[in-house]
Amino acid sequence: MVRYILKRVGYMLVTFYVVITLTFLSMKLLPGTPFKTANRLTPQQLNQLRHYYGLDQPIPVQYVHYLWNFIHGDLGGSFQYGMQPVTQFLLQRFPVSLELGVEAMIAGTILGILLGIVAGIYRARFLDWGTMTFSVIGISIPSFIFAGILQYAFAVNVQLFPVAGWSGPMSHVLPATSLAIGVLALVARFMRTEMVEVLNQDYIVTAQAKGLTTSAVVFRHAIRNALIPIITVIGPLTAAVVTGSLVVENIFAIPGIGSQFVDSIVTNDYPMIMGTTEVYAGMFIITIFIVDILYGVIDPRIRVSGGQTS
Amino acid sequence: MDNLLEIKDLNVRFNLFGAKVQAVRGVSLHLKKGETLAIVGESGSGKSVTSKAIMGLIPNPPGEITSGEILFEGHDLVHYSNKQMQKIRGKEISMIFQDPMTALNPTMKVGKQIMEGLIKHQKMSRQDAKKRAIELLRLVGIPKPEVRVNEYPHQFSGGMRQRVVIAIALACNPKILIADEPTTALDVTIQAQILDLMRELQKKTGTAIILITHDLGVVANLAQRVGVMYGGKLVETGTLEEIFYRPKHPYTWGLLSSMPKLHAKTDKLLAIPGSPPDLSDPPKGCPFAPRCPYAMKVCTEQMPEYTYLSDTQRTACWLLDKRAPKVEPPETIGVGGE
Repeated sequence: MVRYILKRVGYMLVTFYVVITLTFLSMKLLPGTPFKTANRLTPQQLNQLRHYYGLDQPIPVQYVHYLWNFIHGDLGGSFQYGMQPVTQFLLQRFPVSLELGVEAMIAGTILGILLGIVAGIYRARFLDWGTMTFSVIGISIPSFIFAGILQYAFAVNVQLFPVAGWSGPMSHVLPATSLAIGVLALVARFMRTEMVEVLNQDYIVTAQAKGLTTSAVVFRHAIRNALIPIITVIGPLTAAVVTGSLVVENIFAIPGIGSQFVDSIVTNDYPMIMGTTEVYAGMFIITIFIVDILYGVIDPRIRVSGGQTS
Repeated sequence: MDNLLEIKDLNVRFNLFGAKVQAVRGVSLHLKKGETLAIVGESGSGKSVTSKAIMGLIPNPPGEITSGEILFEGHDLVHYSNKQMQKIRGKEISMIFQDPMTALNPTMKVGKQIMEGLIKHQKMSRQDAKKRAIELLRLVGIPKPEVRVNEYPHQFSGGMRQRVVIAIALACNPKILIADEPTTALDVTIQAQILDLMRELQKKTGTAIILITHDLGVVANLAQRVGVMYGGKLVETGTLEEIFYRPKHPYTWGLLSSMPKLHAKTDKLLAIPGSPPDLSDPPKGCPFAPRCPYAMKVCTEQMPEYTYLSDTQRTACWLLDKRAPKVEPPETIGVGGE
């Protein structure tokens, strides 16, 4: 197991390195300059600026320079924020997005799995139709619509929660809920499909033939097997949700990193593009790793021993 | 009455989209203590549905027992609630399934899968149940049971898994064991082992067995009585001897003829031409009439009544009517190995 994990960590580092490299190179293909006033500058002034920021050096030199700084924890200064270090920016803001995302993921996943189980058991009956209608609505309507509705209902009409901001647990409720609805809907749909599938398996009939109660059949035999494919969906979804949502963070004025995924690219803020991509890739790689470990916990067939699957 | 189980005029229907499939149409049969009854017939003849009906495991919807009685020790299981049936299943009546590769929960240790029934029905403690599970694994011939009990199904071969399935079924000493094609998914050498095991276990435990199969070799090996099903109906039933040596129904003839024989003069494999009837629109008359080489006009119009040829053999065929022409069974039905 230890060997397996070490091997996996090695692969993760390689993946991460490849992502950094590809992002760095493709970023250099972006048109335009980081300088807002570029069209009012003389070529000479522009050259001076480029020289100042080290952008006049050949790309391989910039690349090696970047890697060197990266290893030392320096992601450069953000062009948008007056050369504020990107590292500092991310360290301040990523935890906010992470917290919001984790809250939304926990709520959405747990409720989604529960709803999916219920819908799967009561297939083709009222509870199933109800849950699945809700699920389709949750998947098709973007989160900012829910955000608006929630704000209007629970912050303006009934003043239960603050309308925006990020201070204290109460302010987490509405943004986390609007993010969680999409997660919930998606997870519920997958879970329902898996439950229906699993409940049709022969081993469920075996369990019934033993005389077990319906709840014992569902809880002991069905759910665990239905969860295996769900984990595959939850992994990448977690990576996406915990790295922040542009829209929800904007609507609720939350100081996360969600907006930087777009802003940094629009403004050619090279160090910030690299920083946000690294956060996203890092989260993605880590969640995939956790998913793989979880597979082994849930499914004995893919449990690993000493680096080889049995 | 010494009948452990008696099925009277059982009808099972599946209400599918736009079609009502009459899977079982008026089946009556009985099972005595400790005997083995084989139900044979091709796919879709209703034999598996009959066995599921006994277990109360017909999914509803879409399935539904429309009429009939299933008397287990005199109690009608058809009207049992699901809760009442849970006390019967696994304890009084158990089931072995066709495909051991899918019949076990892949994420649960086999020991636990055996223990579940013991804990539920015999109120055993976990330790006692585990001991009994190890005993059962030894009983069904699994080597090193105290190690294997903690393993998962994927660590067992197909034949070994079927042994585990049998151990699960026998855990609470059921009075009836329903074996739904227990050897179909296994290769031939393993088939023989499993059949030997079942025969041996029956001797030890005195369990009555209902053997669902389309393999007449398995029937000859294990059964004392045979019921032949076709198109949702029991067309002929009798003792093993009667069915193999004095069959009266042309479908039974067909089944016996299509069994490969060692001493056959030709190397051609005989088959019954045609295919089984569509049970969403069951024929008015005998279901076998369209494929029957001896079919008469009356066969397609009216279902024949049973003719009782002995205390044990009854056959539903118009050929046995006094007015019908005398027909001799084809010589191809001869049982192999004689």
